[in-house]
Amino acid sequence: MIDFLIGLFLASLIVALFTTRLYRLLLWYSLNSFTLGLLALGIGRSIDDNAMIITGIITIVIKAIAIPYVLKNLSQKFHFVRQITPEIKVQYAIMLVPAILVFTFYLSEPIVHMIHTNANYVAVSISSLFLSLLLMMEHKNVAPKIIGFLSMENALFLLGITATDGMPMLVELGIFFDLLMAIVVINLLFHKEELRV
Amino acid sequence: MIYYFGTIFVLVLIAPILLSYIKATKMLLLFKRPISLLQGYRNFSKLLQKETIISEESSAVTRWAPFLVLSPLLVILFFLPPVTQGAYYVSFVDAFTITGLISLSTFFLMLLGLDSASAFGGMGSSRESFIAALVEPAMVLTIFSVSLMAGNLGIGQAGVNLAEHFPKEHMASFLFAGISFFILLIAENGRIPVDNPETHLELTMVHEAMILDLTGVYLAIIESAASIKFVIFASLFASLFIPFGYGLIAPLAIGVFILKLFLIATLVAILEVNTAKLRLFKIPNLLGLSIVFAFLSLITFYVLGA
Repeated sequence: MIDFLIGLFLASLIVALFTTRLYRLLLWYSLNSFTLGLLALGIGRSIDDNAMIITGIITIVIKAIAIPYVLKNLSQKFHFVRQITPEIKVQYAIMLVPAILVFTFYLSEPIVHMIHTNANYVAVSISSLFLSLLLMMEHKNVAPKIIGFLSMENALFLLGITATDGMPMLVELGIFFDLLMAIVVINLLFHKEELRV
Repeated sequence: MIYYFGTIFVLVLIAPILLSYIKATKMLLLFKRPISLLQGYRNFSKLLQKETIISEESSAVTRWAPFLVLSPLLVILFFLPPVTQGAYYVSFVDAFTITGLISLSTFFLMLLGLDSASAFGGMGSSRESFIAALVEPAMVLTIFSVSLMAGNLGIGQAGVNLAEHFPKEHMASFLFAGISFFILLIAENGRIPVDNPETHLELTMVHEAMILDLTGVYLAIIESAASIKFVIFASLFASLFIPFGYGLIAPLAIGVFILKLFLIATLVAILEVNTAKLRLFKIPNLLGLSIVFAFLSLITFYVLGA
């Protein structure tokens, strides 16, 4: 089941790379975070870690529901461009995405030998880190760049819950506060943008 | 033996019902009064009674091509994975044969479009060849990676292996192959993001443009070929990617299989209602996504073993 969820995590990120509409991108980000939350719940239950279960619930509530909702409201408020065509052509992205995946899968080979539990997931989370970097790179507009940043955070979170046997609760809460701060900063940025226009 | 032929018979019978079911579901979702599930049969009998007129410009190709569109698809029906335990199946037919037979049928359909000597038919044929050329590599890759997971290159044997030992440890690459195959199912059958089967508008036509000049019996044959193509793809999806219910007793297993077919048809209908048709030059993007997923499924299987 965890394999299935991690596949869904990577799949939603790859589909997000090819979308050209903002609301559809928010939907894929929401699905991505939702699978991440379910993964945290699943892994937390299998290693019997209450902190991870709480983190999973917070992930689903904040990242899968609240942040896409807030971003959608913001985009309606500030009249964002909703057509977001990637700067990298699809033909090149089709070659680039498998190349990144193959590269990172081999890159994580030495690390995989060190970690005995859930070794594959490390490779997937590093590759999703690179893919969300690509998502940030291939767009000019600010909204998809934010989504790229947030999915990079998702990838790091996945690395955190799979590579270690549960991070300390304090660190995870700190990450969530960071995220909220980032959203506040983004909001301020938009206000500034609006003033300039 | 009886289950083997019985399944093929049921699949042929259910093919028009499935397409009518998709249409009915879409109409229901759009708050229209849905058509009857037997509409496919009604259309078929109506077309059989109609006069068959052949254009003076067309050659003998129009007379024999409709049969050659239908017959490769009928041959594929015999090669599909078994539905119940103890049924006969052909174990040695691999992905290349299935893809080859499908493209043989598509080839004759394209000839049929060209033969009517109208600009419309030629346009439809060129678009169809454009889509078919992009579908084939992804289709071979997808079925190939599923066969690798199942441990056998033959489609029938792969279906049995998947049903008996479901590859839980390869769930991620299995999911990628499933996504890829679903996109192919939509593209090959000309459903909405790729082609709109309901309109006769110039801009949206691929399949309808090629068969615009056909009437009567020939049109009936082509329409049943289209429905059988959908049933082939849906049953491949059902037995390779949803391999459950195989071990049940025979009548129940066939019932579960038919339920899975209707589930796939519902998925297609929901997708059709929720998406707009893509521009023709955006279709390579969609099919490129399917190739990415097929390739991804292979490399996750090889490198990660997940």
